[in-house]
Amino acid sequence: MMKKIETSIDTLKKDIKEFYDYKKWHFLTLNGVALEDDMLEIQWIFSEYEVKNKIVVYYAHIKYDELIPSIVEIIPSAIISQREIVDMFGVEVEGSQKGLYLDEDSQQKPLSGCSI
Amino acid sequence: MKKTINIPIGSQHIALLEPVRFKFECENEKIVGVDSDVGFVHRGIEKACTTKFKYDAIGYVVARVCGLCAITHSMTYTASIEKLIGGEITQKAKYLRILLLELDRIHSHMLCLSHTCENAGFEAMFMRIMGDREDIMEIQELITGNRVQFDYISIGGVNRDIDAALAKKILSKLELVRQKVLGYMDEFTNNWSLSLKFKGVGILTLDDAYRFNAIGPLARASGVQADVRNEIDYLPYNEIGFKMQKHTEGDINARNLIRLNELLNSIEMCNNILEGLPEGEIFTKLRGKPNGESVVRFEAPRGELMYYVKANGSAMLERVRIKTPTFSSIPAFSHIFTGANYADAPAILASFDPCLSCTAK
Repeated sequence: MMKKIETSIDTLKKDIKEFYDYKKWHFLTLNGVALEDDMLEIQWIFSEYEVKNKIVVYYAHIKYDELIPSIVEIIPSAIISQREIVDMFGVEVEGSQKGLYLDEDSQQKPLSGCSI
Repeated sequence: MKKTINIPIGSQHIALLEPVRFKFECENEKIVGVDSDVGFVHRGIEKACTTKFKYDAIGYVVARVCGLCAITHSMTYTASIEKLIGGEITQKAKYLRILLLELDRIHSHMLCLSHTCENAGFEAMFMRIMGDREDIMEIQELITGNRVQFDYISIGGVNRDIDAALAKKILSKLELVRQKVLGYMDEFTNNWSLSLKFKGVGILTLDDAYRFNAIGPLARASGVQADVRNEIDYLPYNEIGFKMQKHTEGDINARNLIRLNELLNSIEMCNNILEGLPEGEIFTKLRGKPNGESVVRFEAPRGELMYYVKANGSAMLERVRIKTPTFSSIPAFSHIFTGANYADAPAILASFDPCLSCTAK
């Protein structure tokens, strides 16, 4: 069972902080899905420990030039997924530098659907 | 402020099996900071999955993400698509899928344990385990036709059946491997090079395992009750004798023992499958094209593997996201290294069983 909960970049930290109990929820990853009209859906995906098929996805629709807040202070392991999103979609995530997979000065954004 | 020196390991180094670079900041022998670089072999497979291949071919593409857990990759992707298309596959196909998934785990854990021996300077044991692992590779070849890249799982079932004669042959080989694993258990428990030497080294505490979202043997060695086989119902793991393994010490020795116990449990599950394999077809034709979003997880040898798939009813997918076990474990790896002795770094790294082929997909 996958439950999707909408959030926004303004309320993300508050929403995740209220939701995330680190001994109950397992943070899976951060995901990006290119949408039409130069928009991007960012997803923060969680599963519940010891519960069958329980997946919770927080998502926000953003423009490519918006700064995505970091959740590393709440979930330290999110840093690696944040860096991947920066490389693959060419977006900016607070405190996450480019260069995990691509060169630090690379202009590429391989999974981006942005026309600009 | 104390003087520190930076010591890089990798991207190519005699103690590393994979193209990864760690930069250790050391105060004398103690590691006080770690920086990692994992992107040396990025292949753009996620992009290829949405631009070059139709959804029914991608199961074979993602099997190339990793040579060690190829079955788990194709299984996880295929389950994502089956979830979107709908329809049930036969019980026999489910059992055969588990058989191959567990064989994947057995040979992968044996590889990890052999490298642990190599890092301990126990070359003879390294060679012994690698030699014994051949039996599992042969079983995989007998079932799938290949030793490494198995195109065995397809949407709707599996591609090859096994008959009674083959099942008997596999059972006898598995019994040989089981006897050998019991021997490893003795070595890893009683031999100083493989037990005492690794006790108390590279510790991840239970609290840190939760905080850093540790997965797989790394998490279970620290006491986290986390095994995706226990958290899914796509495959009937509850019918074939799955038992979650758990230790609490969180050190290299505990991780080795977790893998050894998982080897025995996987062999037991394979035996149960072969002895009680249901009759029936191995393939069901699933009609329709995938539409919607799905998140599917499976327990790969190194921990949780996740696929996110977004489809729009056409043959080309909109998004395939692959979250591999090593990738999400990197923050936990870095945390464990901090405070450890530099001399222990290769052994700690080997106990993580990292797979950079998966990580950089």
